[in-house]
Amino acid sequence: MKIKEGFILREVAGSYIVVAVGSAVKEFNGVINLNETGAFLWKILEKGAEKEDLISALLAEYEVEEELATKDIEKFIEKLESAKLIK
Amino acid sequence: MPRYKIAGVVFDAKIRYKYTARICKDYEYDGEEQPEFSTVITDQDIASEKALAEDFPEPYLEGLALFRKLCDYTLSKADGIIFHSSAIAVDGKAYLFTAPSGTGKSTHARLWRELLGDRAVMVNDDKPIIRYQDGKFYVYGTPWTGKHNLGNNMRAEIKAICKISQAKENTIRKATPQEMLMVVLNQTVRPTVEYKMDKLLGLIDKMFKSVELYSLGCNVSREAAELSYNYMSKENGDEN
Repeated sequence: MKIKEGFILREVAGSYIVVAVGSAVKEFNGVINLNETGAFLWKILEKGAEKEDLISALLAEYEVEEELATKDIEKFIEKLESAKLIK
Repeated sequence: MPRYKIAGVVFDAKIRYKYTARICKDYEYDGEEQPEFSTVITDQDIASEKALAEDFPEPYLEGLALFRKLCDYTLSKADGIIFHSSAIAVDGKAYLFTAPSGTGKSTHARLWRELLGDRAVMVNDDKPIIRYQDGKFYVYGTPWTGKHNLGNNMRAEIKAICKISQAKENTIRKATPQEMLMVVLNQTVRPTVEYKMDKLLGLIDKMFKSVELYSLGCNVSREAAELSYNYMSKENGDEN
């Protein structure tokens, strides 16, 4: 999985947001707010990663149970898929 | 080609409709400053406005096309942000009310004028332009003054930005930059080119550090205006 081209993550005024630029604006013209974990996962997905990579990265970075991490990541991926931000 | 000075930017614009010439009349310029850019509003420009808002007559769309060109220039070259809001200056300091269309920002600005009389001057009731100049954020009036046609060719330093929601009871509090960010991003013209987007986000980040941010829930009453004005004007120890 990888974040589609044209969707950029930025930190502004203490928040993480995702906006579209270039031709991606035609697909998505809103603003998405991410929390810190979301931004962490997003950065990994910018380079391309599978679910397992995200889980191990999250476990390495945060003190969290594997089961919960898996659930959160599945939810996150679902959100990105429904917004068509990853391919 | 007529020359204008809007939001401190001098430019030449070739326009064809009397409507556009009329709304821009207060902004005609014949001073010494040289124009920073020159633009011609083409059929293509009007057609792309029509694609976004097809119900409007062509003269109005020409005005919007000119607005968009000015916005693009001010963001890339003049540290400018377009901010859909109602901007009112009281004793020379500007307060910007923002909310989705139909929430009541113009109405709240009217309540302020009724409360404060001559001390309150409308900068712009719909599409003011914000500029960052010499370390300060200013709001400028523009020819695009909204449906009540309220605004002046002036600028004022911004003291506060206040987001408005309708409520039975009047309440006001400080707003966090986080909650204000989404409001501002949804009430501005967002560029599609990455470096311009970064410029916009950088300006917003800076603005949130230098102006006060508030969240107001209000009804339509004099009490609502008293509450919001007293609360916002007294911050920083100002007594009114």
